[in-house]
Amino acid sequence: MNAFRVLIVESDTPEVSELRQLIHSCEYTNSSGGMSPAIVHCVPSAELAQETYSEFLPNLVIFGPVAAATASPGDVRQLRQSGGVEPVPILFVLDLTGQDALPVPPTTCDDILTKPYSHPLVQLKLASIRRFCEFSRSLMAQRDRLRRHHADFLQEQASAREIFGNLGNESCLDDTPAIRYHLSPRAVLNGDLLAATRTPDGKLVLMLGDFAGHGLAAAVGAVPLTSIFYSMMPRGFSMSRVAREINRKLYHILPRQMFCCLVMLELDPRRNHLRILNAGMPSPCLKRTSGDLHLLESRHLPFGVLSTDQIETSIVNVRILPGDRLYLWSDGIHEARNNKGEHFGENRLLKLLREDGVESTQAFDQILVAVNAHAAEQHDDLSLVELNLCHVSLRKSGCPAGDYSENRRGSRLGNWSINLQLSHEELRAADPLPHVLSVLAQMPGAARFQEDLAIALGELFRNALEHGVLELDSSIKATDDGFVRYYDLMAERRGQLKDGWVSISLTCSEGDAGGTLTLVVEDSGSGFPAIQEPSGVYAGRGLNLLQTVCDEVSYQPGCSRVEATVRWGGTAVDRDTGDVHGNAMQNPSLPV
Amino acid sequence: MVVSDRFDSRVTTEVSDSGDALVIRVAGNFDFNMHREFQRAYRNVSPPPRIFLVDLSETDHLDSAALGMLLLLRDYCVEVGAEGVQPTVELMNANAHVSHILSVSNFDRIFSIR
Repeated sequence: MNAFRVLIVESDTPEVSELRQLIHSCEYTNSSGGMSPAIVHCVPSAELAQETYSEFLPNLVIFGPVAAATASPGDVRQLRQSGGVEPVPILFVLDLTGQDALPVPPTTCDDILTKPYSHPLVQLKLASIRRFCEFSRSLMAQRDRLRRHHADFLQEQASAREIFGNLGNESCLDDTPAIRYHLSPRAVLNGDLLAATRTPDGKLVLMLGDFAGHGLAAAVGAVPLTSIFYSMMPRGFSMSRVAREINRKLYHILPRQMFCCLVMLELDPRRNHLRILNAGMPSPCLKRTSGDLHLLESRHLPFGVLSTDQIETSIVNVRILPGDRLYLWSDGIHEARNNKGEHFGENRLLKLLREDGVESTQAFDQILVAVNAHAAEQHDDLSLVELNLCHVSLRKSGCPAGDYSENRRGSRLGNWSINLQLSHEELRAADPLPHVLSVLAQMPGAARFQEDLAIALGELFRNALEHGVLELDSSIKATDDGFVRYYDLMAERRGQLKDGWVSISLTCSEGDAGGTLTLVVEDSGSGFPAIQEPSGVYAGRGLNLLQTVCDEVSYQPGCSRVEATVRWGGTAVDRDTGDVHGNAMQNPSLPV
Repeated sequence: MVVSDRFDSRVTTEVSDSGDALVIRVAGNFDFNMHREFQRAYRNVSPPPRIFLVDLSETDHLDSAALGMLLLLRDYCVEVGAEGVQPTVELMNANAHVSHILSVSNFDRIFSIR
């Protein structure tokens, strides 16, 4: 392979053999110290040289004196083109025998050999051409290697992209018109990440993250992030618990200089309650129908920086009003730069949002158009999300409308009960929902109760904790400021809890005709106050909601015990038809 | 997050007047391209100073890779601290834009900023 291949173009036979001998007599030691021979091939004309070129693949072409004298610039150009990008020098032999002065050398060739030949000069010239040839050969080899690596790299990225694409399969982003989003990665893989799912009790949880860096390293972090999110959220773990787990995991797996900026939000469409945690992302903007814009600034370090966190105190609570929209973006939008290097910036974004009419829904498209018009080229991953916070579709069942018919009559739920007592230490951060739901998840027949039970349990636990144990007064929540104060107070009191308890029991009894599932929640508090009016704040939204998912809800003033029952079987079996929900509203056993 | 297309950024170092701090000045865009230079600036000091003062007075922009580099410097201090006195990191003279980035990312909680 290392042989030096010389193509001689010459019609005169004695000239050919002289050149051939000359070349063979020149010794050459290559850069690695080995002797490498020269291979010489001779053709009589430029046309034949052209024909044999691609087969012989010369490193050097020499036109003998007769051929050189008759070679046309076109012939030389053609031969040169056959060499492709790799430079193959073309030498002409000029016969100076009997001439006094050097004739003007032709410009079409790269160099000349003069005749009569001077052996040392030819030796020198060939050696320098061979060094040059070795150099270009190694350059070509490197180029080919780079090409191969690049092709492999693209192939790997494409496979990785497919994997990361599938990570999003569990998301509910496309299930509701309430969410609009645009993700535009700068490279094949996206360093930004958007995920959304529903909790068992029908809340929407969504996160937008941005890993430091982009490409593969940044995208890899998405794997633990999404797997924690999609495995914990649908099981009913609270947002702060999931966020804490994500921070802990990222801290342990990411290299020190990598971290993840993240906005995580939980929207309870039934209670018009938005909880949002911003850890290092550009402030999401809440646009109200009044035209007011509220920025929700970052109150937490990005995830993966510290092993500890202040998640609970960094969550912001917002009371949602009809028509409220939330805009989230990654810094790729902020930092889109034009030719002069100016960032698009938060001000331009807010101006667009402010100028967009209250009822208008154009802002999302306008932002994208404006950013694209501004940016000279894309420097970073771009993400934009619009969330219509009060959209009716969000109130629908969170769980996929699965076909439970197989399970409806065949599988038994059985007769059993579980009791769970949470002490004040547990109540500082307890999340009882996932544990109780996991019991139910073991029973195939129970799938139809999952969501209702999750809602009922969530409501009752919240009542017991907030009003019973923490003694918070719902009436504070009447104003926007009060709403925020209420939840700040709750986080504060919960963190300092010194006594109190909540007990939860779930009893299932099933006979031939049907059965009941009874949920009892009790706390250490002073119990429900005597209710003065039917719509008293104390028995407000929470218990109303409870009545829509349970067949029977009962509690007594002065007592903290609440009992909620779900029945099935008999003639009124089919909860699917919606009859039961209707009945529950008129449930006579309610004292309200 | 952002790849710079400017290459006129640079890192310079000097010992403070008091002699106990190493001032690391980053001019231009503080981003991934500064990685080697920045690391060389704090690693090649023996004995390590009591304080690493990162002077951002000439820093136009700072991206997440730069934040990552500051985290590496913080880690380096812990590493050095294992063998003796742990140096501290302080950031100073950030312009409004750079200050904003530091506060959005809440890095002001883990670095003292002058």
